[in-house]
Amino acid sequence: MGKSKTYAYDYDDYEDGKNAETMVEEILSDPEFAELQELIIGGWGGEYEDDCQAILDAVAEKPDKFSHITKLFIGDMDYEVCEVSWIMQGDYSRLWKAMPQLKELTIKGSMELRLGSIEHENLESLTIICGGLGTDVIKEIEQAKLPNLKKLLLYIGVENYGFDGNADTIAQLLANSDFPKLRYLGITDSEIQDELTAVVLESKYISQITTLDLSNGTLTDKGGELLLNKLPALPNIKKLDVHYHFLSDEVMKRIEALPIETDVSEQEKAERWKGELWLTAMLTE
Amino acid sequence: MAHRDADGITKSSSILPHNVCVQKDGKGSSRIILIGSDHGKRKQYFEQAAREAGICCSFYDWKDIRCIEQKEDLKRCVVKIDAPEWNSCRLNELDALTKQYEEGLLALSRLKAGAFWNHPLDIAELLDKQRCKKRLALAGVTVTEMYEERFSGREELFGFLRENRLHQVFLKPVKGSGAAGVTALRASLLPTNGRIALYTCAALEQGGLVNTKQMYRLEGADAEAYLDHLLKLDCVVEKWYPKSTFQKYCYDLRVIVQDGQIDYILPRLSKGPITNLQLNNHSMEFEALHLDETEERITELCIQAANCYPRLHGIGMDVLLEQGSGQPYIIELNAQGDLLHRDVYGENRIYRRQVELMREMLRQIG
Repeated sequence: MGKSKTYAYDYDDYEDGKNAETMVEEILSDPEFAELQELIIGGWGGEYEDDCQAILDAVAEKPDKFSHITKLFIGDMDYEVCEVSWIMQGDYSRLWKAMPQLKELTIKGSMELRLGSIEHENLESLTIICGGLGTDVIKEIEQAKLPNLKKLLLYIGVENYGFDGNADTIAQLLANSDFPKLRYLGITDSEIQDELTAVVLESKYISQITTLDLSNGTLTDKGGELLLNKLPALPNIKKLDVHYHFLSDEVMKRIEALPIETDVSEQEKAERWKGELWLTAMLTE
Repeated sequence: MAHRDADGITKSSSILPHNVCVQKDGKGSSRIILIGSDHGKRKQYFEQAAREAGICCSFYDWKDIRCIEQKEDLKRCVVKIDAPEWNSCRLNELDALTKQYEEGLLALSRLKAGAFWNHPLDIAELLDKQRCKKRLALAGVTVTEMYEERFSGREELFGFLRENRLHQVFLKPVKGSGAAGVTALRASLLPTNGRIALYTCAALEQGGLVNTKQMYRLEGADAEAYLDHLLKLDCVVEKWYPKSTFQKYCYDLRVIVQDGQIDYILPRLSKGPITNLQLNNHSMEFEALHLDETEERITELCIQAANCYPRLHGIGMDVLLEQGSGQPYIIELNAQGDLLHRDVYGENRIYRRQVELMREMLRQIG
């Protein structure tokens, strides 16, 4: 495994006037940087008001400086640093050409996120972690040319924090995209997880993937029963991840009894509020 | 329930509800006097420790404190004061209740006790978060930054945050304990991008704020309405430092310092910014964090803080480790923060050491 390093600013750095631009300078002048395979960017200072565009621009403008990076994570920060729905991302349009060697890209935060026209021969893994993924970004993924993509993990999120689509949006994404090598499909963290489970089980990818990830959402027995009905006829699926769910004990046990690897941890309970039951996805705000 | 007393005689505790050992005449004997609330685990587990150590302990509820001097020869006693039971969860009554409590502590400070485990006047000082923090800061103890300014309204607060480029702070009623009214506020206050979000366990009910055991997240107009009510109370503003994380949780530490020694470090985990264990948060073993190098820094900091209050023999300290740097900061001190469920349900070692230290104090006062 190659060397990895996280660059992140803390509160004092931000108060001292540091930002995404100074972070680029620090990364490029770091003697260790040339040895890295993985570059992780945490908070770049005031990330709730200032985007990370300076970092993306630096990659696009000085591609040779980043040519050894095969794994990139931009926005690795938790709720103690910034609300996920407040992280101001950037425009990745120029990244695809500038980093042809890139194998894994993880993005956290969806505000101001643009992927542009995605065309990349070598990218194997694309993960977007957010509280709500916009349909504009979902469309960009739908049209992406990623012939080697093996893992697609999307946090769909909720309407209040940026997801402005519905189950059809995801159905179209899965129908119109073309990822012939996809083995890991994650459609997660949704407040309509049962509906999305149905969509995923009907998609063309269901007979080619080996890992199905429907975790972190509001999966109930309705979605659980769909999985129990369909999975026995899908021997290609070796692993099912539904951790953080609202399944009953009984359905949970039946899923665990499937002859595949399963993760049914983090059983959640619906909360009653003003006479109604509320189920919430894991990551939203 | 029955227990065996120091003389090995089994007695029913229902016959002797206020004494954990049998004396023909209470007056004149050397003992611990525990003042507190008759219900709850503090009394139960402290008395258990005293019983196991064979030390006499008499208990007085706060409502009975006037008769202590008539009943006890206090010069031969060590007095421990736990907090009274608080009967209101309305935050606008917090000031009055604290004032009443401070008056009670002042009255207790006049007792001619042989020794106090924690001196009532210092317990009172620790109820005032600002006074306590000032004392620590003056002594060079690393504390989370608390601002001098007070705010009568939301716009005034936002102006201060803007001016100081602050985007996340804690608001805390200056007097009070636990998580009562504690609010973690995030604000992005650009004219084009103004938004706020806050986390609290207080809820707006019938025109006032009520303390609950649940964490809420509020945004926009709901958050503004909440702040309007909160800022009617006397609140201090502190910088919100990102806390270290363990797996999916952030955590801070409750450190129990007794007589210049760290007796327990308890990490308190939370999925939100408020880590108080009453909010259905959970704890873990400190050793599982593998903070061997940081432990020394934590110890040094806590002992330095304890030295600021030589009349307090036992202090519960809230300590955070800043994310990234791992730098420990004192968040606040609590002179009555020695009950840890993880400990009392296990070895009860905090109270067991406490009574041993009190045994030594009793020996010294003869």
